[in-house]
Amino acid sequence: MPKHSNDRLQGTLDLLILKLLDRSGPLHGYGLAQRIHQATADSLRIEEGSLYPALQRMTHEKWLKAQWGTTDTGRKARFYTVTAAGRKQLEEEERRWVTLTEAVNRALRFA
Amino acid sequence: MSPIRRLWNVMRRNQLDDELRREVDTHLALIEDEERAGGASEGVARRHARERFGSTLVHREQALDTVIMTSVESAWKETVFAARRLLRSPAFSLAAVLTLALAIGANAAIFGVVERVLLNPLPYPDSDRLIDLDHGSQLLNLPSGMGITRGYYYQYLERAHRLEGIALYASGAETITGDGEPQRIRVTRATTSLAAVMRVWPEVGRWFTEDEGKPGGPARAVLSHGLWMRRYGGDPRIVGRSITLSGVQADVIGVMPASFAFPDARVEAWLPQQITRSMGFGIWLYAAVARMRDGVSVEDVRSELNPLIADIENAFPGDPFAIGNSRNIKTTSTARTLKEATVGEIARALWMVLASVGLVLLVACANIANLFLVRSEARQREVGVRLALGAGRAGIARYFIAESVLLSLAGGAAGLALAWGAVRLLVSAGPATLPRLGEIRLDGLAVAYTFLLSVVSAVAFGAIPLWHGAPLGATLNEGGRGNTTSRERHRVRRLLMGAQVAMALVLLIASGLMIRSFQKLRDVDPGFNPASALAFSVALPTATYPSRVSAVAAHRQILDRLSALPGVNAASASTCLPLSGGCFGNTLLVRGRPQSPNSTSPPARFQAVAGGYFETMGIRLLRGRTITRGDVERGELIAVISEALARRLFPGEEPIGQYLLSNAPPRADGTIGAGPLEIVGVVADTPVQTLAESPVSQLYMPMSIAGGPEFPATALVGPDVSNINFVVRSSIAPAALTSAVRAAVDAVDPQLAIARVTTLQAIVDRASAQMAFTMVMIAIAAIVALLLGIVGIYGVMSYIVSQRTSEIGVRLALGAEPRSVEAMILRQGGAVAVAGATIGVMVALASSRLIASLLYGITPRDPSVFVGTTLMLLIVSALACWLPARRAARLSPLDALRAD
Repeated sequence: MPKHSNDRLQGTLDLLILKLLDRSGPLHGYGLAQRIHQATADSLRIEEGSLYPALQRMTHEKWLKAQWGTTDTGRKARFYTVTAAGRKQLEEEERRWVTLTEAVNRALRFA
Repeated sequence: MSPIRRLWNVMRRNQLDDELRREVDTHLALIEDEERAGGASEGVARRHARERFGSTLVHREQALDTVIMTSVESAWKETVFAARRLLRSPAFSLAAVLTLALAIGANAAIFGVVERVLLNPLPYPDSDRLIDLDHGSQLLNLPSGMGITRGYYYQYLERAHRLEGIALYASGAETITGDGEPQRIRVTRATTSLAAVMRVWPEVGRWFTEDEGKPGGPARAVLSHGLWMRRYGGDPRIVGRSITLSGVQADVIGVMPASFAFPDARVEAWLPQQITRSMGFGIWLYAAVARMRDGVSVEDVRSELNPLIADIENAFPGDPFAIGNSRNIKTTSTARTLKEATVGEIARALWMVLASVGLVLLVACANIANLFLVRSEARQREVGVRLALGAGRAGIARYFIAESVLLSLAGGAAGLALAWGAVRLLVSAGPATLPRLGEIRLDGLAVAYTFLLSVVSAVAFGAIPLWHGAPLGATLNEGGRGNTTSRERHRVRRLLMGAQVAMALVLLIASGLMIRSFQKLRDVDPGFNPASALAFSVALPTATYPSRVSAVAAHRQILDRLSALPGVNAASASTCLPLSGGCFGNTLLVRGRPQSPNSTSPPARFQAVAGGYFETMGIRLLRGRTITRGDVERGELIAVISEALARRLFPGEEPIGQYLLSNAPPRADGTIGAGPLEIVGVVADTPVQTLAESPVSQLYMPMSIAGGPEFPATALVGPDVSNINFVVRSSIAPAALTSAVRAAVDAVDPQLAIARVTTLQAIVDRASAQMAFTMVMIAIAAIVALLLGIVGIYGVMSYIVSQRTSEIGVRLALGAEPRSVEAMILRQGGAVAVAGATIGVMVALASSRLIASLLYGITPRDPSVFVGTTLMLLIVSALACWLPARRAARLSPLDALRAD
């Protein structure tokens, strides 16, 4: 089963989603998009629609759990939570991220 | 992710799509809310939402694909790769697919037959509750097949509580005239309860009312679907039309559905059996079918009926036939399920054939498993690479299973095509004793069975290499020679080879036994000369020929015209031809011999014949003289008896000159049945029903003194001569006479229809048709198993030789004689073949009971068959071993050493 672990860009989005959901608790897609904009101070522009393939995939990998619920404004939406497997994946992604950024930082310093 | 889960996702595609769509709609709505809250107009909010979200549709598809593709993708990829690998070795794939197609096709075809004929032979509602109310008598040496009398029918009707309904019936031939050519059709006269007992009602019109079943009731007829279509073109206004059956008008009141074929598929019309209880006990003219109440078994029914049989004298006080049956015959109920009565005989043969083709499939699987073993070893390195790259055991298993599943599905599909053709062949060539033969086709169940077989085979031959000695634990540096895993694989290979030999031998022995039985059956002396003779039957309608005298006169006219035909050497007639069954029967008394209550008079089959019958049929005269034309014209009170009857009645005595009386209650004028008849001759026995039967007592009488339309059946004078079979012996091919014969009958009376036109040879062939069918099926299975077995042995031995090439090279280089190398290889293969053959013989001996009922004239442990087939198999196996052995011996030591 392909894990996309070497796909950095996707890995970044996964990391972001996992991290935000883990910190904030259950969120629907729109809420998640809002958090990403806030957290990255609008520096990371993403098409909000592109969240859904990632959410689907991560749900399918059992990192996330999806449940239908009602928003504050009374709309039906799917709320995502991080599962135990998702938390493990988060640790993994974080470690990789640190390793990668360290490596990049080191490379930049020597450049 | 499990395959089931994947499938679930694919099936859930719509639901997923729906959930995602709702989710995205919410998202868009929330953005619009936000934009509007920021003061944007409706239109602007919507546009911004779209922009921020990106293209909804595209993303939705992408999201879906992510889910579905990741699930299906890997399975599909594995399948595609497997297909590519298989296509790269076309010889292997073709061999495997063909082998499987042959084996699976044979199984599917036979399953199609078994399903229709054995699993569901009776197309009636709750047909497992239907029973055949047959009777037998130990005293008469008739264990079953006597049918029923009116007396027992009424006794059961009134007093048997375990039966829900009973219908009495009798079948015969009638000539249908008007609306085209006169035609002989088979007609069943049944009590009006038949439709209710069978739970089948007419598709057009109605069934008989109770009043129509009373004597003197109006003449009514219900037609078969086939007759309605054929003769009346499916006329929608058939109800109310009047038809003429043997000169009697009857109104058509209904048409039965096409599936209704009771008592058999030849019946074209049903008439009411017009009887009442007051007509008395009667004689054995009928058959009966009954429906058991729920929860009642056939044994329960028998135990209820037997006391009723014993009490019959009280039910019909003073009735001479009831008294005779009660005291002299000692009838017992031999009720059995209608299914057993219909397919009991053919069932054992068909199960045997199904088991045979099952064995063939096993042999085929063993063969392909061997091929797979070879293949898996050849790709040890490839698998090693996969393992090194981190593929799990499951991944490697998938790698092999994908191939075996693909092969077996391809084999199954090709097999289904083969089976389709085979079923058509079976339907056209199968014996007429197969009920519902015409309906046999491959339906959904047969296709499902084929699919199941394919999957099971895939697992069987795919798993064996995996289980034993597949290179699951292989490493990249393993040479694959001389180590334990390869020795283990050789062991598995020999095991498979031995199993093939054993299974092939079991089938060879079975087919050998069938072939010997068939030969014995064909060698049975039928007691008459079947070569170059035509037979056909004629039924005289009572309306035109109301008396015995008029019937005999008509027969004489027909015979005169037949004898005058060019190419005809002799012509005669009899009420009952050999191997055709359905003869008149009665018990006999010898005049002047006191009747003791403990020795019953023996039953005999009666035939009324024209002059020159024995000469025309070629039935050997053993003593005395035959019945001549003069005897018939003068109405001599004489009889010729069969050897079996002479032995039974007159052991060590001279039968000629003795007098026989048929056992019937005295008539008003004091005479009894037929006779007394003077015995003037003894002739050879001829079979009545089957070639395999023990000789049946028979009595021949001139047709001018036998029964006729004016005698009631209970008079027991003899067979009714209105229905007679003509036999024409010719010097030209008998089939070429058909039209001349038809013209001769036409010239006497154009309203007569000739029926059952056949040759005597065809009658004999038909009698062995069922055994021929079983024999051919099992023989084909055995030959296929043998061929597959030979290929298997050859393949295994060749492979072993090729694996040991370098070892053989060393031996040869060190001075071993080529001959001794050859002997070594032969010894190895021979040991496996002998072991396999030993097991095969043991299995055949152990299961001999299964085939015993299909055999004739030999025991299921016939030594000559066992020795012959075993020798044949060993010789063929030796040959299959010898070819690779010779190749080994001819190796040049240098080449052999270089080979590795």
